[in-house]
Amino acid sequence: MTSSDGIDGATRFALYRSLLEIRVVEKRAYDLFLHNLVKGTSHLALGQEAVAAGFAVAMRADDYTFCTYRGHHHTLARGAPMVGVLGELMGRKCGLMAGKGGSMHLTSVRHGVMGSYAIVGAHLPVAVGAAWSAQYRGSGQVAVCFFGDGTTNIGAFHEALNLAVVWKLPVVFVCENNLYMEYTPIASVTAVEHPAADRASAYGLPRVIVDGNDADAVFRLARDSLAAARAGGGPALIEAKTYRHSGHSRADPAKYRPPGELEDWLRRDPVAMYRARLIEAGISEAALRDIEASTQGAVEAATEAAKASPPAPVDVVEQDVWSDGGSAWRN
Amino acid sequence: MDVLMPQLGETVREGTVSAWRKQVGDPVNHDEPLLEIETDKVTVEVPATAAGVLVEILVPVGERVEVGTRLAVIRVAGEAMAAATSPGARIVTLSSARPTVPAMPAAIADASPPDPARSSGRITMPAIPTAIASRAASRAASSELRLSPVVKRLLAEHRIDDPSLIPGTGAEGRITRDDVLAYVAARGGAVPAADRVVPMSRIRQLTAEHMVRSVATSPHVLQAVEVDFLAVDRLRAAAGDAWRAREGFSLSYLPFVARAVCLAIPEFPHVNASVRGDSLVVHQRVHLGIAVDLDRQGLVVPVIKDAGGKTVRALAVEIRRLADRARRGQLTPDDLTEGTYTLSNSGPFGTLITAPIIHQPQVAILSTDGVRKRPVVVERSAADGGDSIEIRPVGVLAQCFDHRAFDGAYSAAFLARVRAILEQANFDAELT
Amino acid sequence: MAELSYREAVAAGIAQEMARDERVVMLGEDIAGAGGVFKTTVGLLDRFGPRRVRDTPISEQAIIGAAMGAAMTGLVPIAEIMFSDFFAVCWDMIANEIAKARYMSAGQMALPLVIRTANGAGSRFGAQHSQSVENWAMAVPGLKVVAPATPADVKGLMAAAVRDPDPVIFFEHKGLFATKGEVPDGEHVDRLGTAKVLRQGRDVTLVALAAMVPRALEAAERLDRDHRISATVVDVRSLVPLDTQTILAEVTRTGRLYTVEENPRLCGWGAEIASIVAEERFYDLDGPIIRITTPHVPLPAADALEDHAVPSVARIVDTVVRTAG
Repeated sequence: MTSSDGIDGATRFALYRSLLEIRVVEKRAYDLFLHNLVKGTSHLALGQEAVAAGFAVAMRADDYTFCTYRGHHHTLARGAPMVGVLGELMGRKCGLMAGKGGSMHLTSVRHGVMGSYAIVGAHLPVAVGAAWSAQYRGSGQVAVCFFGDGTTNIGAFHEALNLAVVWKLPVVFVCENNLYMEYTPIASVTAVEHPAADRASAYGLPRVIVDGNDADAVFRLARDSLAAARAGGGPALIEAKTYRHSGHSRADPAKYRPPGELEDWLRRDPVAMYRARLIEAGISEAALRDIEASTQGAVEAATEAAKASPPAPVDVVEQDVWSDGGSAWRN
Repeated sequence: MDVLMPQLGETVREGTVSAWRKQVGDPVNHDEPLLEIETDKVTVEVPATAAGVLVEILVPVGERVEVGTRLAVIRVAGEAMAAATSPGARIVTLSSARPTVPAMPAAIADASPPDPARSSGRITMPAIPTAIASRAASRAASSELRLSPVVKRLLAEHRIDDPSLIPGTGAEGRITRDDVLAYVAARGGAVPAADRVVPMSRIRQLTAEHMVRSVATSPHVLQAVEVDFLAVDRLRAAAGDAWRAREGFSLSYLPFVARAVCLAIPEFPHVNASVRGDSLVVHQRVHLGIAVDLDRQGLVVPVIKDAGGKTVRALAVEIRRLADRARRGQLTPDDLTEGTYTLSNSGPFGTLITAPIIHQPQVAILSTDGVRKRPVVVERSAADGGDSIEIRPVGVLAQCFDHRAFDGAYSAAFLARVRAILEQANFDAELT
Repeated sequence: MAELSYREAVAAGIAQEMARDERVVMLGEDIAGAGGVFKTTVGLLDRFGPRRVRDTPISEQAIIGAAMGAAMTGLVPIAEIMFSDFFAVCWDMIANEIAKARYMSAGQMALPLVIRTANGAGSRFGAQHSQSVENWAMAVPGLKVVAPATPADVKGLMAAAVRDPDPVIFFEHKGLFATKGEVPDGEHVDRLGTAKVLRQGRDVTLVALAAMVPRALEAAERLDRDHRISATVVDVRSLVPLDTQTILAEVTRTGRLYTVEENPRLCGWGAEIASIVAEERFYDLDGPIIRITTPHVPLPAADALEDHAVPSVARIVDTVVRTAG
């Protein structure tokens, strides 16, 4: 099934599987809110699956992912277990961080997910540091840093881009432009039309915009920019146009969206679009149903396992402040 | 010295302050009019009962007070307050005590611009800034109530009911810690024995916490074997002075026990494990913890990493290094983590048997106790001369294990294997 | 023993660790070619090269963020923030990111890094370049905080900070850079979390940090000489971890505690020590605990004003004499 654009069948299946896993887990997360099993806040990535899937499938296992508080999709896409993600959202012992981080801070170092950062912009300089380390160690690793459109107006964005270019570091910055910073349209608070791409020239970088709902397009761009960074070509800044199907967070009904906007974007749903493309490429309906059923089954199993897990044990409250596993600040 | 509301007549119980003739800070002479009091019968002038300085007025004009109420405080020049307020007290001069009153103005002179009133050397209260004076006065005014925490504690410990018996040498006659101690010493040291309350150190608290948790977590079972250390002793004797000269310390039994444990573990891997939920995590590598006593203040358990492949000599050197670092407080967090099995050594104190508590989340711990020469029946066939009684160095190895992890037969077989290894002691090649 | 200045000891400590461990790298503004605005990193570029000693743009968030990213992926960075006052522009990185990453990830991340900074008064730089902000750092769970007072402690604690597997904020005191002292030859590694008893007396305990240590020592001499008050002086050295045992033992002996703090009054480090002593040694106290601090004001620039604001030897002596009876 290798197509003319160089994406082979296995890759396409991997992309579709990743899209589906994110979609089903995020919907499940929403259901669990409604059952009051997920407390606190959560920022769903429904509608933004293709950015995560496209990059994760293109990345090397030891590459680094840095993401924001809207980071479930990137964490899942790198292979972190669903039960760990759902368990973390539910505050269970089986959570990726035993309930200590929560939805906004999903981290799975062994999957290269070097943290989800809830202070807007904070993780761009951190990704720069990881890229510096990769360059220093000559490891060939690349750091990929995902962030929202709102981030482009904070100082850390500019500090990080400048330093990454000056030091020619292997880091790919990916802006997921979903049109809204939180509740406010990004266009109404930003000096340029394309909040990331139009800033690229200030750092001597090319202006790159991609359809963030097209997993193939994202994958191709990811593959090329990762390869360039790995080869010592320095950083890239990519703006992926996409859309949040839900509000900013669970508390947000997103009433500020103009009528019809959501419907327009739902017609460009990344999961449905990709399914149609696979059918068009000759994949059988039965094969797709198989993969969908098995994903659904995996999410059901993960949900049950997370529900069965005991609550995060209170012992962990005073653990892991320090490398000795404890939190003692005095003798 | 306190100025009290006088009994102005046999039937008078109270009166109203109608005027103060002196203000705070004013010097007063003995018998000089100090204030006026109105009763329902008369208005009288109340004179000062001592010469000094009026340092505090406690009752404002217009207020009605009962007989005996403290109206004001006069600071009597050159005299410690406690002596003034406790006329019956014995005055003890302590050689170590500082002369408080002269010290105060001198100190202020240090930090403030020169003041002619002071340069004369005359020490008077007005020279002291008002804030200090009033604070000192209020302290003095209620000196019997203003005992510092340590003074209160010492009074209680030494069962001194009446602190006024103790001359105070602190500022304004305050009773200091040293005053109480000097008083007690002067009393002849007849200190009624009181229970001492010793706060637990941090390391003691942590040790306590861990022990309670471990006992609550693991059902402990104790098993012990007697080991004949004759073969080990021969190796120790052979290594002898050369070892000490080379390594800088003497070769004890512990490294041999550690080696025997490491050699036996591959045959009984479940002793080198941790309980995690409903599973037993069987560790592939042996990281051997060595319990070290910190001057009897608490325990730490530094860990010999990858002890499995180490020779007796390497173990001896490592045990020595970790114990030294532990006692100097130089262990790093890395030294304390990842242990999979622990040795506790009370041997040097000649103990017979110790039931140690498991170092969580491990599942077993071995205590090595004292090795002593004992008569042992050595069994031989008749052809070899028959049984005989011989003098052998014998010690007990006692293992506590977590009954959740395995059963007595497994532990017993492990201990038997450790004993066999030690009694054969094929370590000749491992000591250099 | 060699005599080094406090500023030379900074470079000596860093050089010792860079020579030992290839993972140790440095970054900061003007640290490489210029040798640091306080000349604390002179010679390091020549010795270790531009790959390991890197000048950065004026981007404090990028400096600290990059140190964090490098630390979590296998390096041991030493980042310099030129003046501790600038912590305010990268406080998110320090207080929200670095301090919390290990905890929030339930131990998945290690952040072995050192943030060095020039702290404190004495240079008449005014309110935005002379602050003592050690209490800011101390208030954030997840940061270790060190503030040495002597060249030997600078070198030894720098080595300990670099070798520590957790983030360490290392406060160098601007007012001490020119001071000199003996520094042990050869490898010198100290221990975090240890206070030092510099002088033992029987009447009062003075607990001090950084530039307040020499002042407390001089005050102790004068108390002894002029007022027959015998003072213990403890150099706290490390605010986190805090060596409370040494402090508690000294306070228990003397029954009196004075803290000498350069940070402004409210929630200064001494407040925590006072609270611990009050909780745990109340029945050994023979008088109130007294804090001697800079008043709760931004630090003024003029020499006379700055000198008045920061605790002086005379103020320490005066306070003790007034209150120690």
